[in-house]
Amino acid sequence: MQQSISSITSPRLYLDNAATEKLLPVVQDAMIAAMQEDLGNAAALHAEGCCARSYIEDARAKVARLIHAQPSEIIFTSGGTESNNTIMETFRSQPVALSSIEHPSILESAKARASQVDFLPVDSLGRVDPKLIAYKKYSLISVMLANNELGTIEPLEEIAASCHAQADHITFLHTDATQAISKIKVDVQALDVDYLSFSAHKIGGPLGVGVLYVRQGVPFRPLLLGGHQECGRRAGTSNTIGIIGLGAAADWCWQEWSCKQWSKVALLRDELCERILNEVPYSSCNSSMQNCLPNILNVSFQGAEGESIQLYLDAEGIAVGTGSACAAGDLQPSHVIMATQHDAEVAHSSIRFSLPLDTKKSDIDRVMSVLPQIVKKLQGMSTIKLGAKHGN
Amino acid sequence: METKNRSWIYSDIVKEHFLNPRNFLMGDEELYTCDAVGIVGNPVCGDQMKMFLRVEHDTIIDLKWKTYGCASAIASTSALSELAKGRTLDAALAIGPKEIAGFLGGLPEHKFHCSVLGHEALAAAINEYRKKA
Repeated sequence: MQQSISSITSPRLYLDNAATEKLLPVVQDAMIAAMQEDLGNAAALHAEGCCARSYIEDARAKVARLIHAQPSEIIFTSGGTESNNTIMETFRSQPVALSSIEHPSILESAKARASQVDFLPVDSLGRVDPKLIAYKKYSLISVMLANNELGTIEPLEEIAASCHAQADHITFLHTDATQAISKIKVDVQALDVDYLSFSAHKIGGPLGVGVLYVRQGVPFRPLLLGGHQECGRRAGTSNTIGIIGLGAAADWCWQEWSCKQWSKVALLRDELCERILNEVPYSSCNSSMQNCLPNILNVSFQGAEGESIQLYLDAEGIAVGTGSACAAGDLQPSHVIMATQHDAEVAHSSIRFSLPLDTKKSDIDRVMSVLPQIVKKLQGMSTIKLGAKHGN
Repeated sequence: METKNRSWIYSDIVKEHFLNPRNFLMGDEELYTCDAVGIVGNPVCGDQMKMFLRVEHDTIIDLKWKTYGCASAIASTSALSELAKGRTLDAALAIGPKEIAGFLGGLPEHKFHCSVLGHEALAAAINEYRKKA
């Protein structure tokens, strides 16, 4: 198959939204306007400092409103990874339990700090069973609200109910909501979580800024020391422009009812899934169609390796993600697909589509105009004999 | 603003061999009659390569391959097939990972193992041929 002309003439089709989202125009406008102002260090008492501080507090109120928290419960960080590391610093030398499909920033920071780390198993769709958690054993349980590779939404409310119902033991609950925010309604009070992390760049905000929600009155230990910023909870000069961008993104998600808008994308995701399963032999779906974020679809193609599919699609102008070890560079296949499918070949052969909000039906058609031929070519040259192992 | 660089982590030669691989065996391998087959790797590890050789007078007169793997694995096997065709068995055995990577204009460090694998598949096929001969 020669590289097609379409890759030269057609605009790029970005379907790796879960990796990072395009900056919202309102965010860009807010940040450019802020860059043109004379903003000082937000910790300073002079006019320039006060101005920066008022912008930051305005953003804090918008973020708090988005997740139904109090502004004082919002800490600005450098991103989801820092927020997650801060939680594990808070529970240093204590026993914690994590879902086995958490983001590496939870897995690795827990392993480095906790006295004991237990991994909660998930079913074939990536769901933790709240009934199987031995709550009493742990100081902290951390289960993501939605998984980044599969889109699976975890039963957080049920976990919270059991977690907080113990009469003789206190177990705190953290959730990494990085993928869920803006795609589904996230209300910290309804979820009854003690801590929640997310990142601005997954909701149309800028890179390099994130949030840690810490419920009033729960334990907290800062990760970064050496400054009184964020009420002594996160040292370091405030990233004023980034925080302004995050505030604008949070405001947009609130004003525009982003969850409702995203729910329309689910129809296109479902159509893509159905067409792949029907039109691409030996394909299988790793994502759930229920309890799933509206825009994520993870599929595997027997005999075709993920990085190769990803790069053939890239040559056709289409960007997707993959759980292939080769693409990650660490030679280990996706721990998420391994935990759900228990099959390294399925993990190596997986591709993640994560659709942006402006996805059109014609985009699905464009994917399906090239994907079957790409997979057929890779399967044709593959050493793997195609069978009914996990194909349709 | 400067032009955006959208080139891959791979060299243009790797990209070319990946998108348009040479000498691969499409579909049913039973349809290609050959004198020896060598296979290395494991799909569980993410890479597997198989070499099919036709040999006459101690020389590889034709060869085909199959690969399950990443872009680097496909391009490396394609490059190896070009390098090996027409060589004597001893000369083909002398093709090492460095020669393959050099032919491809270099490979990213963490991808180097892929080219080693291709070389081993060829060696396995040659060994099988010599055992039979």
